[in-house]
Amino acid sequence: MKRIAAWLKKQNKYLLVGLIMTGLAVALGLLSLVWTPYSPTAMSSAERFHAPSFRHLFGTDNFGRDIFSRVMQGIGTTVTVSTAIVIISAGAGILVGAVTGYFGGILDEAIMRITDAVNSFPSILLALVVISIMGSGKQNVILSLGIVFAPSYVRIVRSEFIRLRDADYIMRARLMGVSKWRILFVHILPNIFSVFWVSVTIGFNNAILAESGMSYLGVGVQPPDASLGKMLSDAQGYLGRAPWYALAPGLTIVWIVLGFSLLSEGIRRGAISGKREVE
Amino acid sequence: MIRVKNLSVAFDGPEVVKNVSFEIGDGEILGVVGESGSGKSVTALTMMGLVSEGARVTSGEIYYDEELLLKAGTPRDNALYREYLGRKMSMVFQEPMTSLNPTMKVGKQVEEVLSLHEAAIEETQRESTVPSGSAVQSDVKCGEKVPGKKRKQYRERKEARKQKVLEALSSVGLKDVERVYELYPHQLSGGMRQRVMIAMAVILHPGLIVADEPTTALDVTVQNQIIELLKKINQEQNNSLLFITHDLNLARRLCDRILVMQNGCIVEEGITEEIFQNPRGEYTRKLISAVPGRTGKKKKLRKEIGKALVEVRDLSVFYRENANSLFGRTEKKCVVRNADFSVYEGEILGLVGESGCGKTTLSKAILGLNKMITGEVTHHSNAPQMVFQDPYSSLNPSKTVGWLLQEPLRAQGALDPSKAMTEAESRAEAIEMLKRVGLEEKYFDRKPSQLSGGQRQRISIGQALITRPGLVIADEPVSALDVTIQAQILELIRRLQEELGTAFLFISHDINVIYQVSDRIMVMRDGRILEIGETCEVFEHPKDPYTRELLR
Repeated sequence: MKRIAAWLKKQNKYLLVGLIMTGLAVALGLLSLVWTPYSPTAMSSAERFHAPSFRHLFGTDNFGRDIFSRVMQGIGTTVTVSTAIVIISAGAGILVGAVTGYFGGILDEAIMRITDAVNSFPSILLALVVISIMGSGKQNVILSLGIVFAPSYVRIVRSEFIRLRDADYIMRARLMGVSKWRILFVHILPNIFSVFWVSVTIGFNNAILAESGMSYLGVGVQPPDASLGKMLSDAQGYLGRAPWYALAPGLTIVWIVLGFSLLSEGIRRGAISGKREVE
Repeated sequence: MIRVKNLSVAFDGPEVVKNVSFEIGDGEILGVVGESGSGKSVTALTMMGLVSEGARVTSGEIYYDEELLLKAGTPRDNALYREYLGRKMSMVFQEPMTSLNPTMKVGKQVEEVLSLHEAAIEETQRESTVPSGSAVQSDVKCGEKVPGKKRKQYRERKEARKQKVLEALSSVGLKDVERVYELYPHQLSGGMRQRVMIAMAVILHPGLIVADEPTTALDVTVQNQIIELLKKINQEQNNSLLFITHDLNLARRLCDRILVMQNGCIVEEGITEEIFQNPRGEYTRKLISAVPGRTGKKKKLRKEIGKALVEVRDLSVFYRENANSLFGRTEKKCVVRNADFSVYEGEILGLVGESGCGKTTLSKAILGLNKMITGEVTHHSNAPQMVFQDPYSSLNPSKTVGWLLQEPLRAQGALDPSKAMTEAESRAEAIEMLKRVGLEEKYFDRKPSQLSGGQRQRISIGQALITRPGLVIADEPVSALDVTIQAQILELIRRLQEELGTAFLFISHDINVIYQVSDRIMVMRDGRILEIGETCEVFEHPKDPYTRELLR
C-alpha cells in the first residue's frame, strides 16, 4: 500500500487526474455496450420527467427514458465518433503535412491554398454542406468533420517539418544515404510529437463539441440512438421543467473534455521532463 | 570601487556561486575566466541586479564605493538598482544580435539611456546629492506634457541629447555617425552592433562596466578591434572594467588582474602575467595548457602524399535570393568563386576564414548538398560525411546513442545489400565505435539530451566515421565547446585520423585550432581561396596580407 502511495506521489498530477476522469467516462461508455441500468430506449409514460433519485440517477426524460442509461450510451457514441474524427484528420494531416513541408515546391503551394480555402469557411457550415451532399448518419458525420479538421493538422505538421528539414541532424541523415521516407517518418516525425500532441488534444475536444453540435442540429446521430449533443438539443424545450435533462449530458461533455485535456497535458509534461533529465 | 563579499547565489538546486569575494579598484581591468557553468555570468548578473527572480542570494554583500547595493536576506532594492544601472554601472552582453531592440533605431536606443537618467543627473548637478525620487517617473513627466514656454527648452535639450549620442557613437569608432543614428540594428554588422552596445554602456561615463563575453560572437579581426576599443575607453574614462571571458588569450591581452572560476568558486586570483607565468592551481594549469597556441612543435608532413580523394576544379557556388517567395525575382549570388584544390588521402586539410567567407557553403557544395554550382567536384572515395558545429542540433534528440550510431550502417545496408548487417553485427560495430571515441558502453542507451556538449560531439564524430568514409568534413567542430573539452576533441580527431586513415577537411575560424590540427591549410576570404600550403610553410611565410593579419 505504501509502495502504491509513493508511486502515485511520483506521478504527475495532471496525468493522474486526467487518467481517472477519462478512464471513468470511457469505462461507462464501454459498459453501456453490455449493460445499462434500464434500456436506453425503453419508454414509460408513467415515469415522465422524474427528478434524479436512486431509482433514476440522472432522472428521466420526456418519454420516461432513464437519462443515466442514455448518457452512458451517449458517451460511447460521442467518444467513438470524435476519436474517429481525430484519427482521420490527424492521419491526413501527418501525411499531407509531412510531404508538403519536407518537399515544398508547387505541390506545397497548391495544397496550402486548398487548406486556406477550407479554413475560410466556418467549420460547422462546411460540415453541413458535406452532409447535405452525402446524407446524414454517423459515418458521414465522421467523414465530414474529419475533412473539415484536417487542414489545421496539415498546417501544424507542415510548419514543423519545414523547421526540421534543414536541421543539422537531418542533413547528416541525408549524407548517410537514408531514404526520403525514412527521414520523413523515422527521423523527423518523432521530434514533432510535443507540438503535434497539443493539437491532437485541442482537436479531440473540438471534435467532441462539433459532434455534439451536429447532433444538436439534428444531422448527426439519428434517433433512437443516444448522443450527448442530441440529448442536449432534445432537452432544450424542457429546460424549465426538467433542468436535469440538459445538465446531465452537458456536464458529461465538460467532464470528458476536461479529463482529456488534463490527461494530454500530463503526457506532454512527462515527455518534456523526460527530455530534460540530464545525467 | 566595487566590493563583493562572500557572495553565494543559488537557483532551485545547489549553489552556483559559492562564497565569492573580490574587489575591483578604480580604473582597473579585472578578468574573470572560467568554462561555461563556472558561475562567472551569474556573479556578474547578481552584481548588476539583473539576475532572474528565481535566484536567491544566500550569503554575502555587494558594495559600490561605500554604498550597500545588495545584502543576503533582504530583497533586491529595484529602485536603487535602476538608479545605478546605466549611470554608475553598465553592461555589455555577448550576443550583439539580440541585445539591441530590433524595432528601434540604434540612435534612439542609445538616447534612451540618456533620457532615462536625465532628470536624475540634473538633480545631482543642482543639489549634488543623491536623488531620492525614481528617475524613470520624472522623465515620463517631462516627456508627456510640455507647457508652452518650456517647449523651446525641451527642444534644446533634445538637440543636446542627440549631440551627445553622436559623440558617444563616434567615440566607439563608428564612422558616419549621423547615418548610423538612423539605422536599425539589422542593418549593422555584428561588430558595429557591439560598438553600439559599448556606446550605450559608456555614454554616461559609469564607474564600472561589466562586459560579459563581448567578443565571443565576433570574428577574430573584429574581436581585436573591440578589445582595443575597450582598452582605449578604459584609459580615457578611467572606469573599471569587469571582463568575463572563457578565452584566456583575450584576458591576457586586456586585463590587469585575473580571477579563475571553477564550479562557482574562485580557484585562483592574481596579476595577469604572474598567473600565466606560474599558475598555482591545477585547474588553472590545465586551462592554460588547453589553450590552443602556436608554440607547440609542428610535425612534418608525412613522407608522401596519398592519392587525391576529392578534386575540386574551378568551383563556384551560388545561392538564390528570394528563393522562397512565389513572385519576386530570384537573384543569383556568388558565394564561392573559382575554388581549386584537392584533398588527399589521410591528411587533415584546415580551412580558415571569418564568418560569411563561404567556408560552409563550399563544404556543402563538396558534399553535394548545394546544387547551384559551376565547375566540378570529383569524388574518388565513398560518400563523405560531415560533423557540424552545434553539438545540440546535430544529433536527433528523439533517438538513443546506439540507434544513432547504427543508423549509418542500416542506411548503407539499404543502399548496398552486400554491406547489409544483422542487428547484432551493427550493434557490435556501434559499441566498438563508442569505445573508439572515448565513451563507455553504458552510453549506448542514453539519449543525446543526457550527454554534455563534448560527449555529443564525440558521438557525432563516431557517427560520421562508422561507415569508414574516405573523407569527413568537420565544420567548426570545436567552436561551441569549452577550452578543455576543445583540446580533448582535437586530440580525438588527430588520433582517429591516424588510426583509421580518414582524411579530414577541418573548417574553423580559429587560426590556432587550425594550426594544431592540420597538415595543410587553406585561407579563405570573401569566397576566394587566398592561399593554400603546408601548415608550417604558411605560418612562417604567409604570402597574402590577409593571412598576415589573421596571424597577428
